[in-house]
Amino acid sequence: MTVLNDGPIIRLRGVCRVEDAEPLTALLQGVSDSTLDLSMCEGLHAAVVQAILAFRPTIVGLPDDPFLRDRLLPALTGGRPSDVSRP
Amino acid sequence: MTDDLMVQFLSEGRELVASAEHDLASLARRPDDAGALDGCFRAIHTLKGSAGLFDLRPMSLMLHAAEDLLTLLRAERTGVAEDFEALFSVVDTVDRWLDALDRTGVLPADADLAGESETRRLRALVASVSAATDTAARTAPTSWRPPQAFDGLGATAVRYTPRADSYFSGDDPIAIVAAMPGLAGLQVSPREAWGGLEDYDPYACNLVLEAVSTAGRSEVEAAFRFVAGQIEVVDLTAEETVPAPEQGARKTLRIDAERVDRLAALAGDLIIAKNGLADLAAQAEGLPGGQALGQALRARQVQLDRLVGDLHATVGKVRLVALGPLFARFHRLAREIARSLDKTVSLEVEGGDVEVDKTIVDGLFEPLLHVLRNAIDHGVEPADVRARAGKPAAASIRFTARAVADQVVIEVRDDGAGIDPAGIRALAVQRGVLTRDTADRLDDQASIDLIFTPGFSSASEVSAVSGRGVGMDVVRDAAQKLGGKVIVDSRVGKGATVRFILPVTMVLTKVMVVTCGEERYGLALDTVVETVRVPTERIVPVRAGRAFQLRDAVVPLVSLGDLVGAVASGHRPSERVVVARARGELVGFSVDAIVDRMDATVRPMTGLLAGAPGVMGATLLADGAVLMVLDPAELVL
Repeated sequence: MTVLNDGPIIRLRGVCRVEDAEPLTALLQGVSDSTLDLSMCEGLHAAVVQAILAFRPTIVGLPDDPFLRDRLLPALTGGRPSDVSRP
Repeated sequence: MTDDLMVQFLSEGRELVASAEHDLASLARRPDDAGALDGCFRAIHTLKGSAGLFDLRPMSLMLHAAEDLLTLLRAERTGVAEDFEALFSVVDTVDRWLDALDRTGVLPADADLAGESETRRLRALVASVSAATDTAARTAPTSWRPPQAFDGLGATAVRYTPRADSYFSGDDPIAIVAAMPGLAGLQVSPREAWGGLEDYDPYACNLVLEAVSTAGRSEVEAAFRFVAGQIEVVDLTAEETVPAPEQGARKTLRIDAERVDRLAALAGDLIIAKNGLADLAAQAEGLPGGQALGQALRARQVQLDRLVGDLHATVGKVRLVALGPLFARFHRLAREIARSLDKTVSLEVEGGDVEVDKTIVDGLFEPLLHVLRNAIDHGVEPADVRARAGKPAAASIRFTARAVADQVVIEVRDDGAGIDPAGIRALAVQRGVLTRDTADRLDDQASIDLIFTPGFSSASEVSAVSGRGVGMDVVRDAAQKLGGKVIVDSRVGKGATVRFILPVTMVLTKVMVVTCGEERYGLALDTVVETVRVPTERIVPVRAGRAFQLRDAVVPLVSLGDLVGAVASGHRPSERVVVARARGELVGFSVDAIVDRMDATVRPMTGLLAGAPGVMGATLLADGAVLMVLDPAELVL
């Protein structure tokens, strides 16, 4: 279980695989302005990345993985670090 | 003016030759290495331009043909071994011609002919490459322009458009990009607009990934090899940097070595001038009422001490140069030596970025060449022997350098036959270097060390390459002159390693100043064991010489005055003796007095005195007099 619905915040925990894209899409489709916490995320499949790109939730939390934190996250948030804050 | 230009051309030329050789070696291993191909093109192009400044027509023509071939290879990327061999040969020829220009100021007599033959060979290859590519299908040029955000981030940009069914077929495009070497920037965008998100299909891939990498094209392409049809790759460096040299990349300044040497000499003299101040302070303190002045002088002297020490160290760093260019000169020499002996060697170089004092780099060429010759001639076995031993046909010779604290360790390692200690012992006896008894008592390492004995040459038959009666003693002497040492490790059947351990900078030598008659002499303090006063009656004649007892050992005694031809002083009740270690044995040198100890930069003697035996060099004394510094070990030979 890597996609957790924690009240107003959706948390991605551990390595998110291709099968996590569907439950995430369902959660993102349910709310108009959702918040996604990536601080416990250790890996994102392209299908999950694509869902984040499509629904543009507010992202909070910095993952530890250097690729996620320094390369992928800036690409998803348009390189604006202000979009990402610690929860 | 022309001379200055030529000097610059020779030094830059050697660097360009080295860089082209390095790139060609990479290309020989990986013909699709675009970075190496571009680098080689730049080097040849620059060489051609420089050669055009002088009347070096054969060189210009040959390099022009080489550039044409490289242009073709860059456009079509179809280099084969034959191309690189021809280019290697061109670079070797340029290297040889640079040596000739350095020695004689003109190209060798056969330059026209040699250049023409190289040029013809290149032209033939150009013709064949063109023919081949006319029929070959060309890869469609990409119309994609990398985003501006990637400018300056890396060498290769890639646009990856995964197929819509990628997720079904098990691909994770993000993981593929994450695994790309040297990833320096990433942009993720949808391939097509999202449309209504209520119908969003999480399993239909709709992504475009654009990335930039510091790695070369081939490495990037390798990372995407499973999705090769879905990427477009653009070299970010290729277009604008060729043929322009890397602008602004160079933060170095080319300075005439003589000026740096002059600076170093001045810094050295300043140390001596500063040493005089200590004397002055002591004198001032001794004067009636001079206490305060003396102390003030001493405080200033301490400050000056530190500054001069810093200055000396900084100048020492200016003189540091990388070993790479020196190592690079051996590629061609190794090929030539091997060819003349009908052997094949592959020379590998590691640690070319290690920096050492220029004097050391200059002084290392001859000994390293000697070691290389020995390794190829005596170490590397003939082809049939290698085959029987299950070794690769091409022998491996590795030059490595690494810095260890304030020393540098330079190794020449071969995978040849190694040195057979028993064989060395037998030869030593046969040549009269040792008696059978002494030889039999030697352990293996000591036997191997025999190759450093003057006049000992381990070649059982004299060959044209290295058996010219010059033994490894020359190599050991050279290492010692540079303030270091050389050791040999060998494993029979596996190969030998010659290891130089040298100081990184030319260090201050501790010198003991003694007098003999009217003259003062310096003795290198690192050889001095102790100083003793020996009553004359305890000195006993031994055959032609004299000796005295030092605790439980009998030590031969020689008069330093006799050795250097100073006027003998009259009879004394006791002798002042400096006990030094010379070639492992204690020797006493009687002197008139021991005057001082000092730190000095000892400079080798030049001119008539350059080869004077026993003279290590000279240094200036505080009063401006020249002090000859003697090497006790050589004095008693």
